[in-house]
Amino acid sequence: MEQILANGLYLGAQYALIALGLTLIFSLMNVLNFAHGQMYVFGGFVTYTVVAQWGLPFIVGLVSSAVILAVMGALIEKFLFRPVIRKSKRDESTMLLAAGIAFFLDAVILLLFGEKQRGVPKIVDGVFNWDMRLIMPYDRILIGVLAIALIVGFIALMQYTKAGRAMRALAQDRMAAQLMGVDVDRYSMIGFALGALLAGLVGGLLVTITGINLGMGGPTSIKAFMMIMIGGAGVISGAIAGGFILGMMESIGLTVLAVYGDITYLAIFASLMVFLAFRPQGLMGKPWG
Amino acid sequence: MNKNLVGIAAFLLAVFVLVPVAIAATGRWDLYYTLTSVALLAIGSAGVWLTFYIGRINIGQGAYALMGGYVSAVLMTKAGFSFWATLPLAGLFCAGISVLIGLPILRLRGVYFAMITLVLTEVTRLAALALPVTNGAKGITSIPLPGSLSVFGITLIPDFATMANPKLGFYLLAAALMVLSYVVLWRIVNSRPGHLCRSLQQNEELAASIGVNTAYLRVLTYAISSFFGGLAGAVFVAISQSIYPSSFAVADSVNFMLYCFVGGLGYVTGPMLGTFVLYFGWDLLSIAKQYQLLVYSSLMIAMMLVLPNGLLSLFDRKGGKK
Amino acid sequence: MLRRTLLKTSALAAVASIAMLGTAFAENPVLKIGFVGVTSGPAAAWGTSNQRSMETRAAWINETGGYDIGGTMYDIEIVSFDDQKDPKRAIAGMEQMAQEGIHYVVGPNVDDGAAAVRPVAEQNGIMYFPYAFPKELYTAPASNAVLGMVANYQSGPAIYKYLMENNGVKKVAFIAGNESDPLSQRDSGSAAAKALGLEVVSDSVTYQMDTTDFTPVLLPVIQSAPDLLVLSGVSPANAPQLIRSARELGYTGLISTETAQDAAVLQEGAGELANGFISVGGASTPELASDMMREFVERYTAMFGEYNDESNTKVYALEYILATIAANPAAMTDVEAFKATMDTFEAPNPYMVGDAKLKYVGTTSFGQKRQVSVPLVVNVFNNGAFETMFVAQVD
Repeated sequence: MEQILANGLYLGAQYALIALGLTLIFSLMNVLNFAHGQMYVFGGFVTYTVVAQWGLPFIVGLVSSAVILAVMGALIEKFLFRPVIRKSKRDESTMLLAAGIAFFLDAVILLLFGEKQRGVPKIVDGVFNWDMRLIMPYDRILIGVLAIALIVGFIALMQYTKAGRAMRALAQDRMAAQLMGVDVDRYSMIGFALGALLAGLVGGLLVTITGINLGMGGPTSIKAFMMIMIGGAGVISGAIAGGFILGMMESIGLTVLAVYGDITYLAIFASLMVFLAFRPQGLMGKPWG
Repeated sequence: MNKNLVGIAAFLLAVFVLVPVAIAATGRWDLYYTLTSVALLAIGSAGVWLTFYIGRINIGQGAYALMGGYVSAVLMTKAGFSFWATLPLAGLFCAGISVLIGLPILRLRGVYFAMITLVLTEVTRLAALALPVTNGAKGITSIPLPGSLSVFGITLIPDFATMANPKLGFYLLAAALMVLSYVVLWRIVNSRPGHLCRSLQQNEELAASIGVNTAYLRVLTYAISSFFGGLAGAVFVAISQSIYPSSFAVADSVNFMLYCFVGGLGYVTGPMLGTFVLYFGWDLLSIAKQYQLLVYSSLMIAMMLVLPNGLLSLFDRKGGKK
Repeated sequence: MLRRTLLKTSALAAVASIAMLGTAFAENPVLKIGFVGVTSGPAAAWGTSNQRSMETRAAWINETGGYDIGGTMYDIEIVSFDDQKDPKRAIAGMEQMAQEGIHYVVGPNVDDGAAAVRPVAEQNGIMYFPYAFPKELYTAPASNAVLGMVANYQSGPAIYKYLMENNGVKKVAFIAGNESDPLSQRDSGSAAAKALGLEVVSDSVTYQMDTTDFTPVLLPVIQSAPDLLVLSGVSPANAPQLIRSARELGYTGLISTETAQDAAVLQEGAGELANGFISVGGASTPELASDMMREFVERYTAMFGEYNDESNTKVYALEYILATIAANPAAMTDVEAFKATMDTFEAPNPYMVGDAKLKYVGTTSFGQKRQVSVPLVVNVFNNGAFETMFVAQVD
């Protein structure tokens, strides 16, 4: 039981971090960023290149992932999403743009980093073993703690800084925020950059444990979508809750339903559909987001 | 109106006469399959377009294509049905399922509906893997080609297995189904329920307040949409003579949606054009070798920047109506 | 063709093919061989190693003057099509091959694609060499598909038997990705293990292909305490993570798979935890590789920057096609002649030391010779490289 909970917590922390970036972008611009998973993969490959290929310390890799992805996010917002949102008749058109960017990043990743699975050597050796009841490698604990620290840092940023307040205002009511003198364009760009940065950070963190390959982008996006659906789209606390809930569901489901094997994920997905049918706005979302 | 009729006549002439003649003349027989795919995928995207019409982003058409394919495959291999009988049954089965699924989920809007349909695609794939009737992971293979179809002793369609060129047969079948689907689509859009649908797209509460039965309209539209998906899936199964849980996946669902966007959400023929451009575009770009995906996606992004309302918005007059 | 200019042009061709990536340029007639497989998206690794090994070999042949078929030197051109792992696209790819007048195609890489292209291949007289295991592709009435590698239902039993006899394995557990290919391989593997008298303690656990943490997945499997953990149809991306999670959960038994893996990927992803991992490979372990295999690896690395150990099993299909056509030049445009030749074809295997032969096999599994005979080399991973565990033959 302890093992199941620990697995769920670890999974939840990494999921929540992925979902945070996605939900931030969604809340600010009403854009469902299909390319979020690809950004995560890109971040992972940057860390891999810096750490495994150039032999620099892990923290350098992590920082370069964050910086490169933040710049990429800012550019994507300024030169792609902003003009398209301004010109298109229907909000949904940004989905095509996001999908186009996802394909584009896939292609770039394949050309730059190749088709192989990549990984960074373990940053900490050893396994924590509590009497065979709870087994957790130290690097996993470290990454889990880092992920939770980043989540806390992110919440603090949103709560207590000027930029954070501006972004929360934007998310609540774009028009009102503009009238109150918030520079909408600037904070949309910062928000997008921050969302991309988070994706890059998760990629950098997880490359040490799960490794990275170019196929992980699409499925990661979809998982992140599910998390923000559970919690409620565009709500920061919802994304965190969604991440931990999905992590727990997987951890428990995989153990309890192991004998039925093939249907674990069928059960998870089907129950998610039923849940959303009864509570369309997720746990904490605004209705009709 | 006359101008429209001329256009439609020209289109039909091109599809049913000029294309086969041109292919026979140039010997590019491989184009038949490409065009058949375009026609079938266009049927599926017609359905997605219809759900867009009531203001719902549908990323679940792959699920219905897969279901339709399995209905057709199972009926043919296990119950000995003729392909021609399974074709409408596949559509009807999907329509029926979509009513059951649609009743709860059509209350959702925006990204919530989009996401739940995306999850539906994955659920369908996993169900196909787990259910015994689908033969699970091993798929259903060696499905016979469509037999002959005769009514009152008159053979309308010959047996595909005896055809000199089954590719042409499939092409004509797919093209005919596509034309039929778009006629239906056009009729719906230009009918009273169609106008009501448009009111749903704009403001659902307002529509409901003036007495439109919104729930009924939504489910009806979604059922028609899913019927199209099932139809497309069933014909694909007949061509590949096999079906696997992965025959239609999330990528297909996303593509169906993209086809609609590229063509333009405001135009009945938008999904057809979008399917043609994206599918053909990918094939043409194979000359770019390892840069194929890069060029393809760059063009897609560029198109979005120039024509965010779809290719057909090119023909919009300034200030013209949507 | 023009014999007088042959010397000049072949010199030119040599320069050109070094400069450009194997573009056929000489005066030699060109023989086109197709490839339909996945080279983009999540499964890009499978098709890419395949396509690259074909292109490496083709460039090599062209550089050294072409391939001798019936006294004429042919340049080899590889025509590739990316099917994006979509069976519907694979059909389009096969149609394109037919359009180009190609009769020999390598691929597709997965079950659904291989099944979907069958009607097109049979209608257009194309022999194709899939890397997919369903038996109905190779048993009559199907006759145009040739299995390009050793199937898991052939290698699996050999491995289990060896481990039973040499390592005293009694209890075996299977884990598979929730997708057609791995699930089918798990089912046949589990059946084979039971037939050998092994106790199957777990064969129902599956994982999603995009799993990022395998600990919860593996937990129930490890608790069933197997001596041997089989990763059925595991993709190179998932293998190191599975191994690592299993070891970190305290599993000490053996781990094996029936698919080909890449040593560098294992080393990066699992490091020394992957030591002792058993997989099936081609013939490039130092003890078995011939000079030609070593040169192939060198050329591949020079062309594409980095070698992929999966290519060891994928170098063969093209070699078989060319050698069989050379044995019966009529087969170049007539696949019936090719099929007739298959029954008796035999040639030395240039990639292995010793007297290994290239020949078609599969009578036991399929009732007809519809499989290339590739040495079944079972490897053990050790500190970043593969070592040969044992070699067997499939009949």
